[in-house]
Amino acid sequence: MIRRPIKPLTKILLGILSVVCLLIGYTWLSHRQHQENPNDTTIPNWSQLAKGVERAITWNERLEDRWLTDDTKATAIRLFSGLGIAVLGSCLLGIGMGCLAPIEAFFHPPLSFLAKVPATAVIAVFMALVGLGMEMYITMIVFGILPSMAISVFQAVKEFPEELQYKAYTLGASHMEVIWTIIFPYVLPKLIDALRLMIGPAMVYLIAAEMLFGDVGFGYRIRIQSKLLNMSVVYPYLVLLAGFGFTMDYLLKTLQRKISPWFDARH
Amino acid sequence: METESTPLLSLHCKSVSHWFGPKKVLHDINLRIERGQFVSLVGPSGCGKSTLLRAIVGTHLPRKGEILTYSTNPADAIKPVTGPGRDRGIVYQHYSLFPFLTAVENVALGLKLDETSIAFRTFRWGAWRKLRKEHLKQAAEFLDRVKLGDAIHQYPHEMSGGMRQRVAIAQALVMKPEIILLDEPFGALDEATREELQKALLLLYAENEAAKKEGQAPPYTLIIVTHELNEAIYVGDRLIGLSQYWDWKSEGHSEFPGASIVYDKSSPVFEPHDILEFEVFDEQRNALRDEVFNQDRCEPRVDYSI
Repeated sequence: MIRRPIKPLTKILLGILSVVCLLIGYTWLSHRQHQENPNDTTIPNWSQLAKGVERAITWNERLEDRWLTDDTKATAIRLFSGLGIAVLGSCLLGIGMGCLAPIEAFFHPPLSFLAKVPATAVIAVFMALVGLGMEMYITMIVFGILPSMAISVFQAVKEFPEELQYKAYTLGASHMEVIWTIIFPYVLPKLIDALRLMIGPAMVYLIAAEMLFGDVGFGYRIRIQSKLLNMSVVYPYLVLLAGFGFTMDYLLKTLQRKISPWFDARH
Repeated sequence: METESTPLLSLHCKSVSHWFGPKKVLHDINLRIERGQFVSLVGPSGCGKSTLLRAIVGTHLPRKGEILTYSTNPADAIKPVTGPGRDRGIVYQHYSLFPFLTAVENVALGLKLDETSIAFRTFRWGAWRKLRKEHLKQAAEFLDRVKLGDAIHQYPHEMSGGMRQRVAIAQALVMKPEIILLDEPFGALDEATREELQKALLLLYAENEAAKKEGQAPPYTLIIVTHELNEAIYVGDRLIGLSQYWDWKSEGHSEFPGASIVYDKSSPVFEPHDILEFEVFDEQRNALRDEVFNQDRCEPRVDYSI
């Protein structure tokens, strides 16, 4: 029984069953709530949810907006700019720290300190320093995930066996080639792993910032619609966020398998 | 032109000493290695074999003394070792291959690093792609020579320990270094695999002999560090025993100055196809045990007697 695998078909059926249970449970909860209060919007029934989704995806003539596309665009630009800068920065810092002891001595103490500070707590400082525009969201994400990602990359470089470095020199490598041709491909799959772990926190920080200061975006919409008790919009948004997280994770895992096929099978 | 009586030197250690803080490791090592020699370096654990090897590789330079490498290329005929370089190949026991490269890419890596630069590979992409094909073809030929023609696209983690060491040897060979250093290369392998790889090294020795017969410089010079005495006698044509148990008192030292070379003799040469009988090693193995590994016997050092 313990730790024994089950048949693949059983596994799939159990997975489907769990989803069905969730849907039935929700339907029942919503039904009970509507018996007490027919106008309830906190646990919307399926037709209310359909209306919410419809509002989110249709163009509103009067307000001249379409929530879903506006919010997705705003949030995606913020998130990917933040992630891009964080990946680039952590890669440079992590490899720099792992390869050169002075860089390690200079950057490691502040980074390990900053990695422990929750970015959400520092939001007022960002606001004062960079204002309320795009920069604030990007700073929030970068501040939130770059330090721990840089430390992950740094540790991956530290794990690189020194024998391989020596061997590279005996094969005629220059210092730059040791970094770019030898250490970078060794670290790359671990960087992707670090990024996969950080997608969640990055979303947390961005949504929090949008909830506080946004005028468009997922965090903003969820806050406003929650205040209005329009859960028929909020719940689909949450499902979209979860779906996004899943997709990103899957894409990164696929990317990792594609560019570092040696990595996965080794563990 | 070199004649029989003045063989080409490959490597020269001049008064090499090393110590770690108060711990003395190597004392005044003098060693000349001729081109084409297969030198087995043996000694009790802690005698500094690896320290000497690392000094020759150049990763951990000695505190005192100098190591010179001799090149067949007259342009840089004699060079002091200042760090690891492409004239000295190395095969380690562990971490001998780059895990993110397949067998053929591992072997081609040296050609890539040695012949091209990052700038060339980035900005002259077309030319690089053409050259790369050339490199991979050459690497595949080398793998074929160590009997790995079928496994060229496998990653190190997909290979057995013996296969990995074969690739590592090919990886060093492809560079045609002046000297190849092997640090306990087969220490983690089982007996049968070990013997196969020892035979692969004897094949290289046979190539040396063939080159000598034709009046050419032998292509391979090798130092193998091993704790396995049979292996040392079987693979090498020269046996060097480094030991901390030597007669340092007679040289006027009041405290232990570091290990020294106490044994330096030629060792029988075997054909790769000979049937291996360890009994033939008995005599020399016992001599080694007695003179190099025995704590109670203090031999005088022999490194000036070459």
